[in-house]
Amino acid sequence: MSRSLIRAIFLHTLAIIACTLVVFPIAWLIISSFKTMYQIFQIPPPLIFEPTLDNYRRLFFGGQLMNAFFNSLIISAITVIVSLVLAIPAAYSLSRLNNAVGRNLGFWILSVRMAPAFAVIVPYFIIMYYLRLIDTIWAVAITYLVFAIPFTTWLLKITFEELPKELEESALIDGATKTAALIKIILPNAVPMIASASILTFILAWNEFLMAFILTSRDARTVPVLITALSGTHKLDWPIMAAITTISLIPAFIFISFVQRYLVKGLTMGSLKS
Amino acid sequence: MREEYKLLLPAVGVLAFLVAVPTFYLFYSSLLRWFLRDPTGPTFIGIENYIRLIQSADFSTSLIVTLIFSSASVVCSLMLGLGLALLFSENLRGKRIMRTIIVLPIVLPPVVVGFTWKFLLSSEVGVIGAYFMRLIGMGDLSLLGDPKLALVSVIVADIWGKTPLPFLIFLAGLTGIPPILYESARIDGAGGWQTFRSITLPNMKKPIVVAAILRTIDAFNSFDVIFVMTKGGPGMATHTLPMLGWKVGFYYFDVGTASAIGVMLLLIVMFLSMPLIRSISR
Repeated sequence: MSRSLIRAIFLHTLAIIACTLVVFPIAWLIISSFKTMYQIFQIPPPLIFEPTLDNYRRLFFGGQLMNAFFNSLIISAITVIVSLVLAIPAAYSLSRLNNAVGRNLGFWILSVRMAPAFAVIVPYFIIMYYLRLIDTIWAVAITYLVFAIPFTTWLLKITFEELPKELEESALIDGATKTAALIKIILPNAVPMIASASILTFILAWNEFLMAFILTSRDARTVPVLITALSGTHKLDWPIMAAITTISLIPAFIFISFVQRYLVKGLTMGSLKS
Repeated sequence: MREEYKLLLPAVGVLAFLVAVPTFYLFYSSLLRWFLRDPTGPTFIGIENYIRLIQSADFSTSLIVTLIFSSASVVCSLMLGLGLALLFSENLRGKRIMRTIIVLPIVLPPVVVGFTWKFLLSSEVGVIGAYFMRLIGMGDLSLLGDPKLALVSVIVADIWGKTPLPFLIFLAGLTGIPPILYESARIDGAGGWQTFRSITLPNMKKPIVVAAILRTIDAFNSFDVIFVMTKGGPGMATHTLPMLGWKVGFYYFDVGTASAIGVMLLLIVMFLSMPLIRSISR
């Protein structure tokens, strides 16, 4: 065997091991959501078992999950829509403003994005407590805007910067306003970027835990809060938990392939460009 | 007013309102003795909350746990991420699908990452914690119940969940290195390790710094994964600073001290992220 072949086999083996280490925990969780309580407690774990849909049936008719699922969806949707409406014009403006005002505002927006959730949640809890908004989806959605607006704005700003200025230049020369150029020329060209930014913002809101945990108690609980509440109970209902967590993974599974290209930008806020 | 400013105004206005009021409130309430459910209401006590906090044993324990947790998680995820990025910049079959798999944990809810690992490591039902540990004859050890092992367990779960971040950053960084550099190194007869040290590493300075800063900020704020797995226990073995803040503020309702913790976290994180933010927004 040639050296390069051995090397190729070695590299592929490593890659497969890495993938297995990622896939196994998730796969095990999903498989277990089709087990009965008895099967989950069997040691060694049975490799072949008769799958049951009981856990999912209990979930859908139990009400708790459906309520949390619904809350998560509405809160994430409000967060995405409000931040998009505010962020699109702001991002376009920032991407075309090349002066100190633009830079300073950009600096400030990014600083807000980096602020620790805990420092945000303490005052918001007190404010929502006095506004009697605790345990409402509004309290959660408003608080989410603190990270969602900067995130969406900055992500769109760095993607709009990639659109060539020539695109709107001729329209501007013909006397169109900047707003008209944004609506008629930039927006149609930026649909995939805006879609990706919305998805990433949605995932951010869908996955958030700390703020929702502190601001809700029963009625407005989101899926992560429900998961934590149930996993803290003394006698843990493992099969149900496996089913809930499996369902909470759906958005991630649907969207991961769409947003891969923008993931680096979203995670680094464009700090890699030289 | 220039049209650009008009387009900026709504976002900046709303955000300024959403940020300014709470920030002011956070600093102000950190100077109060204030229990939310206490009818006597707040009293101004200056920096007493900070002094009591810094002198308390809970604070120093949480700080040490945070430092151990953060440094271990950051260093390991960076090294793993770099290794994986080097691996994935080779010619591999099925590279795209494998890359998607490796990236997956970063988009999962951290709460689910925590639960997934709790499920694996549990000494009751866990395929690792119960089955594998018995298999290797260490069945009496509880991975989440023993203080030292619990800390290792939450670190492992965090690394599993966060390695995609450095991985993606390094992968992007590696594709930015001009191939000609490798070509000339090969002609000069440099070995693999030499090429890595003299070409790859120096060219990866920026991605490494960016990944280290982002991961450190993230680790300092860690709450979800740990909370689901151990709730900060056993004892205070996995009790990080945000965990302390949660307990003080939302368990004892001592919002004054919780605000003081919030201010400290804010200052630490801002200090860590300033250089990065400045370089991005330049």
